[in-house]
Amino acid sequence: MILEGSAILLLAFFGLLFLGAPIGVALGASGILVIGIEGLGIMALPTNVWTGIAKYPLLALPMFVLAGMVFERSGVAKRLVDFAAAIVGPRRGGLAIVSVLVCMVLGGISGSGAADAAAVAAVMLPPMLRQGYPRAYTASLVAAAGSTAVLIPPSIPFIVYAVLVPGVSVPALFIGGMIPGILAGLSLLVPAVWLARRGGFGLPAADEARIPLWQAFKGAIWGLAAPVVILGGLRSGAFTPTEAAVVAVFYGFFVGLVIYRTLTWRDIYAVLRDSAEVSAVVLIIVALATIFAHAGSTLGAFDALAQSLIGMTSNPTVMLLLITVLVLVAGMLIDAISIFLVFLPILLPIANTFGWDLTWFGVILTMNVAIGAFTPPMAVNLMVTCRVAGCSMESTVPWVLWFVAAMLGALLLVTFVPELVLFLPRMSGAL
Amino acid sequence: MTEHADIQAPGLQLGEAPPRIPVTVEGALAALAMGTLAVITFANVLVRYFTSISFAFTEEYSVAIMVVLAFLGTAAAFAADRHIRMTFFTERLPVRTARGIEIGLLLVSLVLFAAIGWLGALYTWDEYRFESLSAGLGVPQWLYTVWMPVLSAVIVLRIAGRMVRVARAP
Repeated sequence: MILEGSAILLLAFFGLLFLGAPIGVALGASGILVIGIEGLGIMALPTNVWTGIAKYPLLALPMFVLAGMVFERSGVAKRLVDFAAAIVGPRRGGLAIVSVLVCMVLGGISGSGAADAAAVAAVMLPPMLRQGYPRAYTASLVAAAGSTAVLIPPSIPFIVYAVLVPGVSVPALFIGGMIPGILAGLSLLVPAVWLARRGGFGLPAADEARIPLWQAFKGAIWGLAAPVVILGGLRSGAFTPTEAAVVAVFYGFFVGLVIYRTLTWRDIYAVLRDSAEVSAVVLIIVALATIFAHAGSTLGAFDALAQSLIGMTSNPTVMLLLITVLVLVAGMLIDAISIFLVFLPILLPIANTFGWDLTWFGVILTMNVAIGAFTPPMAVNLMVTCRVAGCSMESTVPWVLWFVAAMLGALLLVTFVPELVLFLPRMSGAL
Repeated sequence: MTEHADIQAPGLQLGEAPPRIPVTVEGALAALAMGTLAVITFANVLVRYFTSISFAFTEEYSVAIMVVLAFLGTAAAFAADRHIRMTFFTERLPVRTARGIEIGLLLVSLVLFAAIGWLGALYTWDEYRFESLSAGLGVPQWLYTVWMPVLSAVIVLRIAGRMVRVARAP
């Protein structure tokens, strides 16, 4: 029954996914199918769907999506781009570097990689196209850089991880994620500049207007202050993550309405509507994933997997690499939150067996998911940036694989040097 | 800024007409839900800071509003085909075949949400019959869960509408 049910579950899921069903529908329909065939009890389904998203910590999700969008529409992204461009200066691949830097700063405002990538892609696409960057290159780069948002605090996956794992605190994860996030972002610069050199694109026109550094800084300071407000509030314990997000939302509205005067009431309506829809599209996946998770865990499909994993090796390095591959592949298919919900019951006993630090474990799992989020063919971030850039996902493959390789390098570094994660939280007393 | 620039799909083009009942209805309601969430949460922060009172109990409402928001946005996203999905393979098929597959997938989605709606209705009926109250505020639980079947019905109608539009596409 375990084998048969698991086979049906996975075949139905992948079949629907490859035919182009919305991811949530593929998860929900395959789950319902198996629950029906194996008689696993259909009445638990509405409770699962409801409690799957009716969680207070999840409220941070729509709030951070909203915050990210408010900042994007209020013109902060544009000003951050100007400031970063003034620092980087006119050089080949300069705009690529700017994209990565801005993604990292915006990652400090919104906790969602896809929202972050969408905002930066919308701002960076026109100037990058003017300088001859291919659409597929731009989509790949921004998707990769945007995925650092889940590592750079605030991060929704970290919040969910802390809820699920006893003894791990949100501030420790947030502070621990900073160095890996920065490393992940910086690792992208190498292939970004190298690809621009090799392809002979990305050279700014000589007559392009430049904004003086100080002026650009004055424009960007309101945006640069946002991550400080969010992180400072969280670190000092003044805000819960949801509250930090909502403070960022109203701060963003204030900047957009009063300081920059770029937002109109009509824009505010559009921001609310669009962020509601973007949040809903993610939340419904989380809700429907509970059906899939219910089917899988009731069957024992996940337990069977955990046991065979533990039985496979007693070498911690091999196990760590196995988990890396597993979560990476899973990260291509589903979002971080669903992965944690499904996999943590399997992975935590393994981590405890080997005596791994759970804060560090959460950071590398999230880093894995971040890489999965822009690895084709099913990458969420890449889908979003491809939609903005108007290119197909397959056209990004020759570009995006370089970025995947670069961030994998950063991941291996963090995996084998746990102090990169642990020393900041220890120093600040959060651990 | 063009509308929905960040979630617009150039991906799969099946040539169907736009929905006859514009999604502004769900869009406006979802925007209202989002605005309410933000205001409640922000008011909570302000009140906690300037007085010593906490009205953290409102989180029960917030969480319910979030579920409503998720279902409303899902309906709008079905009508406009903005769900996250992989159309890598279907984009390469002849448009006739792709339409056939799309109608099949919409049928699967329709059955899924019809099931959630139906089971959700039974669940809500139980909550109503047994007069179960919410853990935090003691509000009748069915007042929250009833939105699941109601909005699932809206989603089912949106899916059906898109099925008809795809089938009729020239």
